Amino acid sequence: MLFKSTYNELLKIAFKPRSYIGIAGIILIISIILFAMKVDGSFYISLITGQFDQSLLFEGEILNGNLIAYIIIQMLIIHVPLLIAFVTGDLVSGESAMGTIRLLLTKPVSRSTILWSKFFASCIYTLIVMLCLAFMSFVLGKLIFGQGDLMVLKSDGLIVFQEGDITWRFFYGFAIAFLSLVTVATLALTLSCFSENSIGPIVATMGIILLFTIIGSMDVPVFDVIRPFLFTTHMAAWRYFFDDPLNTTNIFYSITILVAHIGVLLAIAFYKFNKKDILS
Amino acid sequence: MIHIKVIFILLVLFLSNTNVIAQNPRAMLNQVQIKINKANNYKADINIKVDLPYITMMPIDTKLYFKQKDKFKIDTKSIAILPKQGFLQLNMLVNDTVNYTAIFQSKETINRIKTSLINLIPNNDTSDVVLAKLWVDATNLVIVKSQVTTKSSGTVKTEYTYGAQLAFGLPDCIKFIVDIKKFKIPKALAADINTSKSKKVEKNTGEIIVVLKNYEINKGITDSVFEKVK
Repeated sequence: MLFKSTYNELLKIAFKPRSYIGIAGIILIISIILFAMKVDGSFYISLITGQFDQSLLFEGEILNGNLIAYIIIQMLIIHVPLLIAFVTGDLVSGESAMGTIRLLLTKPVSRSTILWSKFFASCIYTLIVMLCLAFMSFVLGKLIFGQGDLMVLKSDGLIVFQEGDITWRFFYGFAIAFLSLVTVATLALTLSCFSENSIGPIVATMGIILLFTIIGSMDVPVFDVIRPFLFTTHMAAWRYFFDDPLNTTNIFYSITILVAHIGVLLAIAFYKFNKKDILS
Repeated sequence: MIHIKVIFILLVLFLSNTNVIAQNPRAMLNQVQIKINKANNYKADINIKVDLPYITMMPIDTKLYFKQKDKFKIDTKSIAILPKQGFLQLNMLVNDTVNYTAIFQSKETINRIKTSLINLIPNNDTSDVVLAKLWVDATNLVIVKSQVTTKSSGTVKTEYTYGAQLAFGLPDCIKFIVDIKKFKIPKALAADINTSKSKKVEKNTGEIIVVLKNYEINKGITDSVFEKVK
């Protein structure tokens, strides 16, 4: 029953035009980045190596598919959650707005099963968006710019990863990025349970991400206590896989925080959805 | 008796010649130059190990190509980091007998090798090189250490270790000691949005160690090897 219900939810997502806005947005943005890098990538490289230009000489292909993939993920990981919220924030509230939720809940399926199916459908949609991002950045980037070592720019220096040591980092990086996007999808879904229209949960999700990101990026000691517990802090956790040595403690901590957020948000969503009065 | 006289005369001539070289730094550098120029072209397998502040990278293995007088290439798809004043500058300094004045400074012993410290001073103020100090092994006529200060790249100290290719003046190992300026990058560019404190790096000098082996000397290298692939 859960499988069929999830399939139905996926069909609903597939038939909504807004579901393709996110994917189209990613394709467009990445195409622009790829074009810009192909035309003027050396400028970006000079930003990376410029600090050492006086004394060091960099040989080899710095501008390659791996660096392009890294730059794209770094740029987009802040924006993709908004595209995800655009769809997942509509899953319950959209049905309330259209009045189809009454019909949906008359089916011989428990409310919890319906919400689980909406959650799994939002996870699958997130996965599709993530795979699109991975294909456009990692696969297409390599096809256009070729392979090579990855030079990662950090605030405290440069790390150069050899070509053979990169793919697994991207794989796990994408995996943890997927987890952080699922957290956003769950937040939007939860807020969607509280609303009777689509705009509210989407805007609220964007607002929360914006607020938490600002708090996370401000170097003010008063926020030091709460910063480690904000899910937005851990949305950049994919970058831990591009540290040397690998900081597994930070990785597991981030995974724990993200999973905890998903758990708590789902609990709230289930509570609210099961108690929800259907008035529309 | 005649034999003894001949040996004595030859000994005097030899000693006087050595003394001339020791006292005349340009003559000594000319000897070094002749030795270096014996290798018209060469290629070698190299291993580059970088130990610099602010930079983390694994050692890489690649190939180095050189052809007189100034063609040089590291053939690598990997990212390699070398000092800007790298392999060519010393050759250029030793070969340039017009623009630099060689001055003998002192005799020093480095790793049990007796060396003559020669300073090279540019003859005009437009030169990028401010001062080059060369520690020359007077016996083997090779440079064992150098310290080159330039206007553009600061100071680079280099230590050379010789082995099988001593006859060509080609080292088995080169250790570059490089000054690195403090690394500062805007947080937004690095996108470490959640890192409030960056690691403090105390030292501002680092080492790049290049180990050279499997030399192929004077086997001929075409110019196309040195062309950059676009």
